[in-house]
Amino acid sequence: MTTLRATIAGAGGLGGPIAIALGTAGVELVIADHDRVELSNLHRQIQFTSVDLGQPKAARLAGVVVARGGTARGVVTRWTPETADELAGDADVVIDASDDPATKFAVADWAVANGRCYVIAAALRYGGNAMAGAPGAACYRCLFEDPAEAPSCADAGVLGPVVGAIGGVAAAVALALARGDRSLAGALLVFDDLRIAADPRIVRFAPRAGCPACARAPISPMATPIRVAESS
Amino acid sequence: MPSIRVPSALRSFTGGASDIEVTATTVRDALAELDRRHPGIAAKVLDNGTVKPFIRIFVGPDDIGGLSGLETKLAERDEVAIVPAIAGGRDTPDPAPGPADA
Repeated sequence: MTTLRATIAGAGGLGGPIAIALGTAGVELVIADHDRVELSNLHRQIQFTSVDLGQPKAARLAGVVVARGGTARGVVTRWTPETADELAGDADVVIDASDDPATKFAVADWAVANGRCYVIAAALRYGGNAMAGAPGAACYRCLFEDPAEAPSCADAGVLGPVVGAIGGVAAAVALALARGDRSLAGALLVFDDLRIAADPRIVRFAPRAGCPACARAPISPMATPIRVAESS
Repeated sequence: MPSIRVPSALRSFTGGASDIEVTATTVRDALAELDRRHPGIAAKVLDNGTVKPFIRIFVGPDDIGGLSGLETKLAERDEVAIVPAIAGGRDTPDPAPGPADA
């Protein structure tokens, strides 16, 4: 059986459950995060405890995965266009678990340009979403065009359990993509308010003409229609 | 009648309501109707009559970009969903309901 490899950008509230789920499923991980554990993180980044305060998140999360029998390497750096090749050169799937728009677009753009599957996960307040990307499907930049225009969410907050739920979904989608299941490729799973309903709205979007990311893709989304699952 | 699903980031405009029924027969008219009843919300979604680049609009499961854009016709039970890009929340253990920038 072939060992699957994944790279996770972000070791925080989303990255924690994603890493633990994939790592304990036997996926070899690279976890990238430049940040260190702070007291204010602990309510939603439950992979860390007060013992971890001040430590690099990437290294500590990798340690958690290894302690559970997985294989993981923590790299104390940001995902950027300059670090991407080293972080994800042999990854079957890359997952964005960051909290800033620029990183989300950087992960998606790199994955599209390198013909990799990817998941872009995000959580805010009581909900979140996860986008599944694969070669030949419409990409994250087809969906949302420009990170510079996106509103800042830094002070909006997120409920602790929400990142666990969205992270679990992102891990499941990533595992499916890595195993060759493209049924959700090019779709966005939207969880509007997890306090009320846990069923996602699954929305589909078409490749956007003139998308600069798709122009660099080895497989044109226009030339390779993807069949996606019926929404629930 | 059709309805508009308002994202949580914009519910400060609707008094917290998540679903607003409209009588309009196109997406553009539905947004205009929404704005008449909840002034200011359309400016968060549209810019000079086009959808802002960090927002997508869906009718049911389908992106209006693959339909007829803002002129997409609405049927009796259609649901219009406004989906903004989100990045992530930080360091607020109990997020207060209220407006975000989007």
